[in-house]
Amino acid sequence: MTLIDAEAQPRPPLPVKLVIAGGFGVGKTTAVGAISEIRPLTTEAAITMAAAGVDDLGRTRRKTTTTVAMDFGCITIDPTLKLYLFGTPGQERFAFMWDNLVEGALGGLVIVDTRRLDDCYAAVDYFEHKQIPFVVAVNAFHGRIEHDLTEVRWALDIADRVPLVAFDARERGSVRDTLLAVLELALTWTDDRGY
Amino acid sequence: MTGGDQPVDGERDIDPAGHPAGDRVGRASAVRPFLVTAGRVAGGGSVTPLPLETQVVSTVGGVAGMDQLAFERRDIVALCRRPQSLAEVAARLHLHLNVVQVLAEDLASSGDLSVHLPRPQAAYDRSVLRRVIDGLRAIPDSRESTS
Repeated sequence: MTLIDAEAQPRPPLPVKLVIAGGFGVGKTTAVGAISEIRPLTTEAAITMAAAGVDDLGRTRRKTTTTVAMDFGCITIDPTLKLYLFGTPGQERFAFMWDNLVEGALGGLVIVDTRRLDDCYAAVDYFEHKQIPFVVAVNAFHGRIEHDLTEVRWALDIADRVPLVAFDARERGSVRDTLLAVLELALTWTDDRGY
Repeated sequence: MTGGDQPVDGERDIDPAGHPAGDRVGRASAVRPFLVTAGRVAGGGSVTPLPLETQVVSTVGGVAGMDQLAFERRDIVALCRRPQSLAEVAARLHLHLNVVQVLAEDLASSGDLSVHLPRPQAAYDRSVLRRVIDGLRAIPDSRESTS
């Protein structure tokens, strides 16, 4: 969709995105950095309650403003298709900004640190609510995980249809395979929906 | 929200950037970006803000007339001679994403920037998903093994 014809300018690729969520320090940026073709960039978005449709900006004294930092990277699939990976803070209080971030995402990845399971509940709930295909990935810090995956699934109370995997956010191949799990899930969802 | 919560016309307890007057000192970094957009915020109206992955490219006219533009607008047009996403523009110019969303719409209206929106149904497009899957599968385990 082009709003203005860019005569003699390079035509940009179709952008698609995956959203990577999880608590602070869980390995989101590490995972993005392991596979991104650019060093992860950080952008800040000022989030206000107005963005949640509570009120018009500047018309209420009860408005609050929060600045959220997002790390992201990208992978050029081919000259006409580019995949963006957006890492987002997983805390519940930022959930209202995610509509703009998540709208149109191919899928989601929730990264979990088994020592701090609580940090990922908001992200799991959000993707479920939005009906976005997502995978929960336990980051195996130092190559091992503290609990087996059955225990983690039980503790998180995630549906059986949600894939749960262990991965290493530092390893490019491991991150690749985890993203592939998200995309393959998304593909089966299109089967189920009859697309 | 009741009528009593709405400021009466002329009541100036909120500065032009939308911050409560008593809160200015600690919030300087949050105020400044929105002076650039005259206090406007992406999505502040009924229009949905441009998605973060929206691709922007400077037009020929935009590059030619770049020196007539002020500050951030010129920086955006200069940077976007190479197509990139709004998120990249914000990160590289150290601007708030919301500011870039507003300025990109302005620059598109003035013909300086070409805006390419993502395809809304791409997430349900099997051929797009397959292409991304194939592209990822081609990525080697480590950067060293790239030949």
